[in-house]
Amino acid sequence: MTTGALIFAFNNEHTDYLAMAAWSADRIRRHLDIPVAVITDCVDPLKLTKFDCVISADPVTGGTRYFDDYKQTVTWYNASRTDAYSLTPWNQTLLLDADYVVCGDELKLVLAAPHDFMCHRLAWDITSQNHFEGLNRFGHHKFPMWWATVMMFRKSNMAQYIFDCMDMIRHNWKHYKDLYHITGSQYRNDYALSIALGIVSGHTLKVDNIPWSLASILPEHEVTQIDTDHFEIKYQDQGKLKKMDWHSMDFHAMGKKHLGDIIASAV
Amino acid sequence: MPVQSERGYVIVAQNIGAVDYIACAEQLARSIRHFHPDAQIALLTDTTTVQSDQFDYRVTFTHPLSDNPYANDWQVFGASPFRQTIKLEADMIIASKIDHWWTMVEHRDVVISTGATDFYDQPATSRFYRKVFDTNNLPDVYNAITYWRLSETAQEFFRLVRRIFECWAEYKTLLKFPDEIPSTDLVYAMAAQILGPELVTMPFATYPRIVHMKRHMIPTQSQDWTQELTWESNPLRINTVAQWGAVHYHVKDWRYD
Repeated sequence: MTTGALIFAFNNEHTDYLAMAAWSADRIRRHLDIPVAVITDCVDPLKLTKFDCVISADPVTGGTRYFDDYKQTVTWYNASRTDAYSLTPWNQTLLLDADYVVCGDELKLVLAAPHDFMCHRLAWDITSQNHFEGLNRFGHHKFPMWWATVMMFRKSNMAQYIFDCMDMIRHNWKHYKDLYHITGSQYRNDYALSIALGIVSGHTLKVDNIPWSLASILPEHEVTQIDTDHFEIKYQDQGKLKKMDWHSMDFHAMGKKHLGDIIASAV
Repeated sequence: MPVQSERGYVIVAQNIGAVDYIACAEQLARSIRHFHPDAQIALLTDTTTVQSDQFDYRVTFTHPLSDNPYANDWQVFGASPFRQTIKLEADMIIASKIDHWWTMVEHRDVVISTGATDFYDQPATSRFYRKVFDTNNLPDVYNAITYWRLSETAQEFFRLVRRIFECWAEYKTLLKFPDEIPSTDLVYAMAAQILGPELVTMPFATYPRIVHMKRHMIPTQSQDWTQELTWESNPLRINTVAQWGAVHYHVKDWRYD
């Protein structure tokens, strides 16, 4: 059975997601010892050398989104993620966002789990400044949110149902947006995943979660790299600038700008 | 009342003002029978005119009734025709099989449900309706589901419930910020505290609890969630989420079926 990571990387006007994915590929191989495939529209072979497998696809936008770190609205090519099941070259896939930073081997536990599909139910702010109440639920009536940032799936009926269902939701986004009382027109994979998990679980919301929460760094917090797996986070706490160290544990860099700067300086 | 049957559900329903609790009780009985056609169900009420065939037993209160309709609750102990009783509040729907409840509680003399969940099956965290409980460190009990078997403990518990209701002026001095008219939940909580919560409650995660649909528990913008949330029947789903156990719908004129 083949096991590998899969990253979607479609650059937009502000973020070089392909460079992010390439930087991440090295880290994934080093910590998790698995090959890395990328799904991208880039055809420049020089930019694709870090990947074990390259899958060409066209970018599909889910709309625009305001990013606090850029202070701008940018195009978001997130909508083809529902194709991960059909495009992945692996029997067991670890689907990661390009901005998920692997700093340790904790995801080996997820790969060793017997489940056909797993993802994070909750995310939390590393700096404890934000309680994520609004981020771990969505819609007017606070439907529980599962995060699409890290998804482990095996080729299986269960995983196929989930991705097929996400695809159905994406193609009927207006209906599901209304049904779940979601404000704003923007499509999000996290929402589609959460709704799909609800449907596939028989509307019971009994889901195989990754048994820890997703460590996250908010866009307004500045992250810099101190050493290979050592990062520093600067943030405001009641008007005071504080900083903290983060060492050898994975995190989700929700702001792309700081991560982009780290990668640019690494190159 | 002499024991007529080993196990059964008792629903207390007294029409109050415009609220037709007997219709609620019938609806609840129908929902129990949907999953358990052979369930034994008794109605405890203040009228002899109820014609419904949903009830195996129709029992009227035997003692004089209080002006506070909640204060008649203690009579349920003597009125139940069952050796083991699960009392259910009338304005609930049973949304799934519940016969496993008996297995969970049958080794105890009294079990009052503790805590509640929202319709996502998550523990309800709002304390909006529970300020007097928190201020006085009372157990977070809900009388909506209460089990007892004929026993000294149960007898003592309901004696205490009666005494607290009847001597409220005296008992309320024990509390900080007490309600002027006591709710059944508050009286049960005080009785549980006096007897010892370990004797009449069980840990939150291990036994029956209600899905609480009051506005601040869910939360919704309006009191009437039935107008705000999407709901489907048979099986009951609220905002697409399948419901389990007892759904305390709170909107008294909601007719599920």
